[in-house]
Amino acid sequence: MSIEVTHIRKSFGSFVALDDVTLAIPTGELVALLGPSGSGKTTLLRIIAGLEAPDAGLVRFDRAEATNLSARDRNVGFVFQHYALFRHMTVFENVAFGLRVRPRRLRPSEQKIRARVQELLGLVQLDWAGERLPSQLSGGQRQRVALARALAVEPRVLLLDEPFGALDAKVREELRRWLRRLHDELHITSVFVTHDQEEALEVANKVVVLNNGRIEQAGTPDELYHHPATPFVYNFLGNVNLFHGRVSDGRIYVRGVPIAVNGHELASADGKSAAVYVRPHLLEIHLTPQGENSFPATVSHINAAGPTVKVELISQWGDQLHAEVDHERFRELGLEPETVVHLSPRENRVFIQA
Amino acid sequence: MLSDEGEIARVARESYAWLAPHDPASAVRRATVERGRTRALLIGGTLLFLMLFLFIPLAAVFTEALRNGVGAYVQAIVQPEARSAIALTLLTAAVAVPLNLVFGIAASWLITRFEFRGKNLLSAMIDLPLAVSPVIAGMIYVLLFGEQGWFGGWLAAHHIKVVFAVPGIILATTFVTCPFIARELIPVMEAAGREEEEAALTLGANGWQMFFRITLPNVKWGLLYGLVICNARAMGEFGAVSVVSGHIRGLTNTMPLYVEILYNSYDFAASFAIASLLTLLALLTLAAKSLLARRARRASEASPVHQSVKPAA
Repeated sequence: MSIEVTHIRKSFGSFVALDDVTLAIPTGELVALLGPSGSGKTTLLRIIAGLEAPDAGLVRFDRAEATNLSARDRNVGFVFQHYALFRHMTVFENVAFGLRVRPRRLRPSEQKIRARVQELLGLVQLDWAGERLPSQLSGGQRQRVALARALAVEPRVLLLDEPFGALDAKVREELRRWLRRLHDELHITSVFVTHDQEEALEVANKVVVLNNGRIEQAGTPDELYHHPATPFVYNFLGNVNLFHGRVSDGRIYVRGVPIAVNGHELASADGKSAAVYVRPHLLEIHLTPQGENSFPATVSHINAAGPTVKVELISQWGDQLHAEVDHERFRELGLEPETVVHLSPRENRVFIQA
Repeated sequence: MLSDEGEIARVARESYAWLAPHDPASAVRRATVERGRTRALLIGGTLLFLMLFLFIPLAAVFTEALRNGVGAYVQAIVQPEARSAIALTLLTAAVAVPLNLVFGIAASWLITRFEFRGKNLLSAMIDLPLAVSPVIAGMIYVLLFGEQGWFGGWLAAHHIKVVFAVPGIILATTFVTCPFIARELIPVMEAAGREEEEAALTLGANGWQMFFRITLPNVKWGLLYGLVICNARAMGEFGAVSVVSGHIRGLTNTMPLYVEILYNSYDFAASFAIASLLTLLALLTLAAKSLLARRARRASEASPVHQSVKPAA
């Protein structure tokens, strides 16, 4: 089922949670709502679920207006951050709940309920846990029960609110790969909220970046990472070095030092200030000056544990910078703390400020 | 007792021994555990207090009640006036407690689940009966429904008797006991949170299904606890009931009022016999209360909300 929200607004007191948000999610997509806390992502998810009513705007499911439909009539599966399992019911009864509360004429027979619950528990690899209470399970297991419970009612949409937020790193990685596979099997339109950019980029087909109640950018992970539309998106997706400068004669000067800028039209931006973003792995380290294309910096810290070596530096004008080099290049350079090096940004993204 | 300044200094030194870094034994001891003498003093003092104010009076009630033998005790309880007082007390509780059950659930639902103007005021109003003297509570009803009261004329014209009759007693008791269930329920409902209810809604449950299958099981121990306390107060209320009752023997006497009447007419053994029933009720209430409190605590410990939820990395 496709989801469409148009011109949604929502405030809590004087706090504006959502400010004119419009978004279309086609059938079968796995979409991530990504943003820092307070960006409105959870509010948007709750409005789609019908747990919150928007102050203005429309929600449509399959083009049919659903704004005033109550949560129980929307047929959405909702997975809560802290699982919200019914603590006094066994795992089996938790999963069976959605089937048992149906009106009598729609309720499956006890036998069919048992079969369906067993099937779902098998799907989430918890067929052995039916008679346990939620409190007897680990966090990752509880989250899988919550997912099975949501799927039991055959929802048209699956909504997940920070589904892995409360789990430790290892379980989280396992579960998100598992969610990805599950989605590939079931093809149910799914939306999940996260503040973890890595999670969003890895799991979703489409990522929607929210900030201060507005959508900054929506697109595939690839588009977002390589063509961020705003400084916020650039900043939020991965580590980044930021230089503030001024445009002059088609170049950008940062405190008087020219920064090489590739392929950007700066002629019309003379005199304006600009923000230059460079990802750490695109900030090249050299031992000798590279003409006008480099500027000096001092190594302050080295972390060689990992697939790449992370080098922290302090530029000549005092800014903290991050660079990443592979181990081979690191050995070639023979870097140590206090080494003075020359940095040249290989690629970068410039945002001219009006 | 602390006899002199040297003693005080010594006790203080012992109490704060955990602060001294050179004492290796104190490092193991829990910082809040008092040492020998202070502890004995605290325990002894508490026991003495309980003895004087609780155990001795309690024992006295039963001794006095049985002073003239078991036969007289039973006689005092089964005589018609006593039976009618017991019946009225039971009737009062049987009406007041369910009324407050409905009110308590509705009020705590409203306060914990909705945001609205005047919420704090409502929350404070629930406590009003605890704040005013029960005598005033009784006076309010005399003022409203008594012969000279606001609605007195209308009631008289329709031959309805509220004050100095059973309805007045029930009204006054309901007023006095109205905070007990709501007060117990509000924190429990607050702690249970909204999420499970929201989950039930998204799974297609209607309001009643959500309430009876999710909300109620989650707060049942707190609710039972409130019921027990509310019932105890409803049966034991004296002040408010005294004002609206009129003390008509065999008609508008509840057990506490009957105890007083017997006592004032120097019928001590009978008076204490009825009092012993109320005391038994109190003891039963205490037992039920501590049992329920333990169950409630265990239930909240088993809840996923309070379990070690690992923080996001």
